Amino acid sequence: MTSITIPTSLRDVLEALAGGARPIAGGTDLVVSSRQGKAPLPEALVAIDQVAELSEVKTGTDGLMIGAMVTHARLMTEELLVESYTAVADAAALVGSPSTRNVGTIGGNVMNGSPAMDTGAPLVVLGAEVELRSTSGSRRVSLADLWTGPGRTSAAPDELCVAVHLPLRPVRSGSAYVRLEYRRAMEIAVVGAAASVSLAEDGTIAAVAVALTAVAPTILAVPDLDALVGLDPTVAAQRVAPAASATATPISDLRASDTYRRHTIGVMATRAVEAAARRASGETIAVPVNRALGIGAAR
Amino acid sequence: MTTLEDQASAPPRFVRADGPAKVTGSGRYVADLSLTGMLFAKFRYSGVAHARIRKIDVTAAKAIPGVFAVLTAGDVPDVRYSPVIPDRTLFAKDVVRFEGEILAAVAANSPAVAQAAVDAIVFEYDELPIVADLEAAMADDSPLVHEDWASYAVTGDTPRDRNVATFSSLSKGDVDAGMAEAHTIVKSRYVADGSHAAPIEPRGVLAQWEGDKVTIWTSSQVPFDARNGVCETLQLPSNRVRIIVPHLGGGFGGKCGFHFEAHIAALARATKRPVKLVFSREEEFLVPDRRRESMIIDLTTGLRADGSIVARRGWIAVENGAYTADAAFFAQLAAMHVAGPYKIDNVHIDSHLVYTNHQPSGSVRAPTAPQGCWACESHTDELAAAIGMDPVEFRKKNGIHTGATGVVGQVYDEIGLQQCIDAAVEQIDHAAALGEDEAIGLAVGWWPSFPGPSGAYVRLDSDGAGQIVTGAQECGTGAVMTLRQLAADQLGMDPEDFEIIYQDTAVAPYDTGATGSQTLLNNGRAVVDAAEQIAEQLRQHAADHMEAAVADIVLADGHAHVAGSPSKNVSIAELAEIAGGGELLIGKGSGKPPDYPEIPGMNCVGDQGVAAWAAPQFSCHAVKVRLDRDTGVVRVLDVACAHDSGTIINPIAAYGQVEGGVLMGIGQALTEGTHYGEDGKQRNGGLLEYKLQTFADAPRITTKFIQIPTADAGPRGAKGLAEAPNVPTAAAISNAIAKLVGRPVRQLPMTAERVWNALQEETP
Repeated sequence: MTSITIPTSLRDVLEALAGGARPIAGGTDLVVSSRQGKAPLPEALVAIDQVAELSEVKTGTDGLMIGAMVTHARLMTEELLVESYTAVADAAALVGSPSTRNVGTIGGNVMNGSPAMDTGAPLVVLGAEVELRSTSGSRRVSLADLWTGPGRTSAAPDELCVAVHLPLRPVRSGSAYVRLEYRRAMEIAVVGAAASVSLAEDGTIAAVAVALTAVAPTILAVPDLDALVGLDPTVAAQRVAPAASATATPISDLRASDTYRRHTIGVMATRAVEAAARRASGETIAVPVNRALGIGAAR
Repeated sequence: MTTLEDQASAPPRFVRADGPAKVTGSGRYVADLSLTGMLFAKFRYSGVAHARIRKIDVTAAKAIPGVFAVLTAGDVPDVRYSPVIPDRTLFAKDVVRFEGEILAAVAANSPAVAQAAVDAIVFEYDELPIVADLEAAMADDSPLVHEDWASYAVTGDTPRDRNVATFSSLSKGDVDAGMAEAHTIVKSRYVADGSHAAPIEPRGVLAQWEGDKVTIWTSSQVPFDARNGVCETLQLPSNRVRIIVPHLGGGFGGKCGFHFEAHIAALARATKRPVKLVFSREEEFLVPDRRRESMIIDLTTGLRADGSIVARRGWIAVENGAYTADAAFFAQLAAMHVAGPYKIDNVHIDSHLVYTNHQPSGSVRAPTAPQGCWACESHTDELAAAIGMDPVEFRKKNGIHTGATGVVGQVYDEIGLQQCIDAAVEQIDHAAALGEDEAIGLAVGWWPSFPGPSGAYVRLDSDGAGQIVTGAQECGTGAVMTLRQLAADQLGMDPEDFEIIYQDTAVAPYDTGATGSQTLLNNGRAVVDAAEQIAEQLRQHAADHMEAAVADIVLADGHAHVAGSPSKNVSIAELAEIAGGGELLIGKGSGKPPDYPEIPGMNCVGDQGVAAWAAPQFSCHAVKVRLDRDTGVVRVLDVACAHDSGTIINPIAAYGQVEGGVLMGIGQALTEGTHYGEDGKQRNGGLLEYKLQTFADAPRITTKFIQIPTADAGPRGAKGLAEAPNVPTAAAISNAIAKLVGRPVRQLPMTAERVWNALQEETP
């Protein structure tokens, strides 16, 4: 039998966690995997949706704070995100269906730690940190330090993800997330790539980051992209493909073979860099890029 | 007379009677029903593809508190069932032949207790070699799926051999001589994966005994078949088994046939309680003996220098799966689609229905046709390319037309295939100009109508309100809903004046059910017949009332009037009131089904009765697709459809059928296919990894009907329509992809990865 408490204060939530309860936000992972028989529901649950501060989106001097309870539906429409952290909005807009997006949250998504999660790669390229809190204190960790394997994180059982923090964006910057998908709703990324690009005044690459979805046990940043700095974005976009394919360690499963994944992750990385660079140059590409630019963001 | 009707200008007729209940949620499905004292059923499945049973021990399961019964093979009559080839029993005996085979059925006071009992059943077995590959299954040294196949009491002329459950050939003329005459010969192989009907409602069954009679609520497309299955397996007369179907959440053929009604009735009898079964989504994928068959198709066609087809040879293997559900005729039906709606003098096709240790195949919407048409029509584009002819011109030249002789020697009366080709081409040309990496592909298809026995009653009560009591089953097509229109038109009344009582075998006369696109064709005839009897009564009453001749009475707009003097009238309600005091207004209809045509010159072995086609339906779909060359992802942008289904009686329902068929066809073309593991078990038996199309994927769909009032068909010359739109979509998409890739993708579904692999092939 599962018991559930529904506090309205964060303090009560943290105390429940300290007492052994597990948190539930939208329930899109927890409830579904229980129904599928993958993992039984925990004996004690603490709902976090009545804690108002967890649903805030706030700008500060050091960037943007997104509360853990912010839903995908909000991520894809919130002006602060669509303007400056567009890749997150691209990814949120591709998740599941309207009903999944209305209940699924960024905190739940991040802490579920799936290598196929859509919002993960965008958060990595944007340099996100997760704020973890427990009755004994608060700490911030990078996503690279948070995710330790598929479905595994370095958070202690009594720690709650209360917010995701995104640093301020440089001038002339843009970001994008694209994914390979076989249909346009209720889909899970076959592979996906996010890119963040900032441009120098002459339009060449000043900085670039790329992260990959569904090609390794966790979401991965493509290392050693410094060689792309100073290049024309279209050239950089082409050069990122082999780097992405080399970073990937994909598996073969029902959705795709490892060979096909290794090829298409390069294609997605190229398209993500192209779209991010176009946004960095001031062009508006509607969210999500996958829909605005056609099949798998082809054009 | 042929008329083209534009979708934009077609008048909608009326809102279907079951629409509001389904949309608002007030409609009740089997899963929504509860009876006092009701128990919950669960099945224990084999979970292994092929094994000899050593022991099934239910002792521990029976001992669990709350468990009321656990039944196995020994608890029901020892009956082998299935039409044509009775190779199946309700519960596994001796050998299990696929993963979803039922070993035992449990009834308990909650689903959780029932599941605990299922888990407590001990199953010991020795694994047997798995038969999975169609060609390997046909080899002389293959293990047998049914060791004792020769002992089954098969009906009719059904050639069989080892794992070949049925064999059928189409043969006409002299193929060797034809090939010798050919200027160009093209040889192709196509391989289609199995797929699923995937209705949104997982099936449910609820059974309750009262004395020696049982009532069974079930999600069936064919209640009379379900009843007959219960009668056969539990050895009961038909008047002691009543089947009621509440609202049905789709079927697409997957809910044809007799499934689990007898298991639940047996549990209800053993426990003396009502018992309900509701499937999970996973069970809906793995267990029913209805899924779309996988196929291998080899085709060789010879062309004369002028582009006419001189000869065609074919070889087909159709997957039967572990048991022969209703697939006995699939071999010949597949051969008809592989032969195609063409004028070919010399044809020989050998077709085999092959046992494997996979889920049994069965009538999913136009069985064998989407795959057969996909192979035939992809091959047709290869033929046209081989001689440098435009694929449209090639089809116009070789396609059958009114008065032509087809592949089996049938001479076709007035048919609209040629007009379908013109109409599809015209519609797709109206779509925007082709962009980069876009192409148009086109395919033609055909499908038979199935005349058969069917019955209905119509009555008008004394207030003038009408009832149609019909044996027909509504599976979502709207065909039963359209019966109101037929009755109303016959009586000069409004469709809204009629309610429909349907889906109850104890109340209504026989009908085959929602199968073979036959509802309007056959039950329409019955309803018109029954309504006409009432019309005669009304005209007599009106003639008496107005002192006019019966022959002069016209029924229109809710009134009877004298021909030529509309003002001299009496309302039908008033006549009904008069009749209500005397001889009641009750009509019963059935009528003689139309005859099947002759097929002179055919020499087929193992005729399964599906070569001579009554009132054949024709179609042409043209599609525009866009290819992402870097990933192989294909998106369908436009589908232009043209259908000859005879007279269209209810346009709004007809357009819906075409659009639904197209979406299902796109799924089969691009994303829907069953993956099997080495263990013979499905790897994607669920909606996460079995990729149905969503509404977000829907292309623009336009439809034109070539309306030819067809002789020897249904009311007003209507033919069937529900399956036809599912036939040519995948084939048309294949031909568009082939144009962009430079070669056909020879596997179905043509997934992004398969398309990408085809793009990597070197041009020979």
